[in-house]
Amino acid sequence: MIEAYLIHLLILIGIYSLLAVSLNLALGYTGLINFGHIAFFGIGAYVSTLLVMAGVPFLIGILVAGLFAGLFGYLLVLATRKLKGDYFAFATLGFAFVVYSLFLNLQSVTRGPLGISGIPKPSIFGLAINSNFSYLILVLVVVAISVFLISKIVKSPFGRLLQATRDDELALRVLGKNTSRIKYKAMIISAFFAGIAGSLFAHYITYIDPSSFYLGDVILILTIVILGGLATIRGSIIATFIILLIPELLRFLALPSSILGPLRQIIYAVILLGVLLYRPRGLFGGVDLE
Amino acid sequence: MSLLLQLTINGLIAGSIYALVAAGFSLIYKTNKFMHFAHGAIVVVSAYILFFLFSTLGIPFFVGVILTLLFSCLVGLIVYRVVYLPLQKKKASNVILLIASLGLLILLENLVQLIFGADVKTINYLGIVKGLSIFGAIITPLQLVIIGVSIVLFVGLFYFMKKTKLGKDIRAVSDNRELAEVLGINYKRIASWSFVLGSLIAGIAGILIGLEQNLTPTMGTMLGIKGFTGAIIGGVASVPGSIIGSYLLGFAENYGIWFLPSGYKDAIAFVLLFLFLLFMPKGLFGKKKEGRE
Amino acid sequence: MIKIKNVSKHFGGVKAVNHCDFEIKKGKINALIGPNGSGKTTLFNVISNLLKSDSGEIYLDGEKISGIGDFKVSRLGISRTFQEVRFFRNLSIKDHLEIALREDDEQLFKGLFEKEIDFKERIQEVLDLVGLNKSLNTLAQDLSYGQKKLLDLAMAIIKPHKILMLDEPVAGVNPKLRKKIQEIFKTLNKKGETILIIEHDMNFIMGIADHVFVIDEGAIIAQGKPKAIQNNKKVLMAYLGE
Repeated sequence: MIEAYLIHLLILIGIYSLLAVSLNLALGYTGLINFGHIAFFGIGAYVSTLLVMAGVPFLIGILVAGLFAGLFGYLLVLATRKLKGDYFAFATLGFAFVVYSLFLNLQSVTRGPLGISGIPKPSIFGLAINSNFSYLILVLVVVAISVFLISKIVKSPFGRLLQATRDDELALRVLGKNTSRIKYKAMIISAFFAGIAGSLFAHYITYIDPSSFYLGDVILILTIVILGGLATIRGSIIATFIILLIPELLRFLALPSSILGPLRQIIYAVILLGVLLYRPRGLFGGVDLE
Repeated sequence: MSLLLQLTINGLIAGSIYALVAAGFSLIYKTNKFMHFAHGAIVVVSAYILFFLFSTLGIPFFVGVILTLLFSCLVGLIVYRVVYLPLQKKKASNVILLIASLGLLILLENLVQLIFGADVKTINYLGIVKGLSIFGAIITPLQLVIIGVSIVLFVGLFYFMKKTKLGKDIRAVSDNRELAEVLGINYKRIASWSFVLGSLIAGIAGILIGLEQNLTPTMGTMLGIKGFTGAIIGGVASVPGSIIGSYLLGFAENYGIWFLPSGYKDAIAFVLLFLFLLFMPKGLFGKKKEGRE
Repeated sequence: MIKIKNVSKHFGGVKAVNHCDFEIKKGKINALIGPNGSGKTTLFNVISNLLKSDSGEIYLDGEKISGIGDFKVSRLGISRTFQEVRFFRNLSIKDHLEIALREDDEQLFKGLFEKEIDFKERIQEVLDLVGLNKSLNTLAQDLSYGQKKLLDLAMAIIKPHKILMLDEPVAGVNPKLRKKIQEIFKTLNKKGETILIIEHDMNFIMGIADHVFVIDEGAIIAQGKPKAIQNNKKVLMAYLGE
């Protein structure tokens, strides 16, 4: 029984660490202050759900989910290309709200606030992934491949350009690099992997509704990334462990769920504020938030 | 015809509420040059304070109102001194302050939920009152009060900014902080006052909204978003602009659901927010040169 | 090499660059001098396409470069530095120079799986040229002001280019380093490099410039050899004011 519980926890940690690492790629490495990252997660979840429920094989569903999310990443950069600093950040938050609105209102597609339940478990080449343990393997494999790829990207010469874009975009342009295109690529990749994470989420929880992809979750991933530190993959993964384990530890206090819910959020908020005030680089970050 | 009138009145009421939120937010932005996203939470906190004092403790209503307003000012001041000021001292960028404000929003809203619970509460001061009929459109006395108080407040705010020393100091600091400091104005003091005043207006908003609607802990988020949208539409650094922008939002929402299903009401605000941020981030009445990047 | 034809740039009512017309010849050290606010940096920004001119054209080796975009102009062969030092805070010296050197690093997929190429030799060559002897792994933010100036110079040199445009390369630099940088320019010139410098330090200019352009209120009022410029009445008037 403890086993089952640990497996459940690890699956969620796996999914959210991919979400955090993909955000860090855009935010920590490239300096794109994207508060709307949760929208890519939601888009991935809905697209994968709708495709698989329409009979599309899971492997194609998850890939298309990522691609669709990537498309929205492109659209976000396109829409906000003239904005800077906090206006850019605020616009990305607005983007998250607009996407949330779409989830809520395109009821013929998304069933609006009712959400979609009965999302099927994946089936890969005929092999049904219907136990939690096998789902954990799936998550570990997908997340490991994804994190490996992201890690390759940030260590490559292109990855260096991402960081240069963050540090001084003008200086980089004057060295002959097309920083607009660099930013597009960064956001598309970031969104792609968030979409993949969204698909994993949907097929595990088997029920999604718009409220999973709203403000509270924006703060959750932001807290994880800031706690772990900017521009560190390891930091985001470890921070995901910490942040997701906290509510589990709280369970031992045997408090009613009406208290646990808000208490959890309060702890996240306090961690976020605490890191900003006293340790702005987070646990493993080497870069200041600008 | 009376439908049009009803929608207009509804727009006026919604606009007044949003304008109350936007005015405080804009005042704070104008003085401090960053987005205090947690402002909506101050509104909620105020509403719940009044609920606690009046409905739970049974304190006389108007005494409760005064105490609530004092509390709102206090919360605003604390938020500034404990979170924003230390960050500013460390030369935090606007983005960091924005993230901090998001954290504060979640913190305050969940504190409210922790203490009061997530169920819906009402402040039963007025009881069920029949609406008045004006040319076929219905408006309740409280709604008239909301519109009235808003207008009085905005006129008062206008004179405050123009005629009082504090108002002029605030305007000086918003126009050119360095110059103001050279002229002997204490920036920290003015910034603190901006939070006190902004939160006072938020307190008034919280009280009126608390009387008009039911209270839920998360209503601050949506109110905050609507207030910001109004401020962005009008011009976030201009208090009159933010007020006008909020009324425009109120009308846009209420006329909008004439054509769209009513579920799209919030979506109208989101879309307008996004569109204005993309195409007219300085708002309809924003100054051309704001010295912001 | 660079032809500036009738270029103008206004900011509101101010004519920062006013019908500027001149040509920079290849292989020479050119200096652009003039009183404060005469439009030197604006002109640089227009040439490197950080600003769009209101009228006129600019040609690099016969190819029109005005209005094509900042990074494109850079790729066509313009290396420039800024008055203020610009660098990537979290990157090392090695990173800076590799970024400047490579023209293929924007390709994502190629870079993902290629074998690591070693540019150390080329990088060390340029670092020796400018005299920046710090470990390659030093973070740029840990360098002194003078060292950052040298890093800026090194980046401009290592980047494939046809002309070096340097905006106040010795501003705020101590006299010893100033002399050193003068020598670097002489060495570059011997190698056939084309250089255009904005500077206020007259001694510095007179020591190395082949050709001097004097700009005042956005227009070229005089040009020629350093000695001739020194004695030019119009130039003296511009500096001394009315």
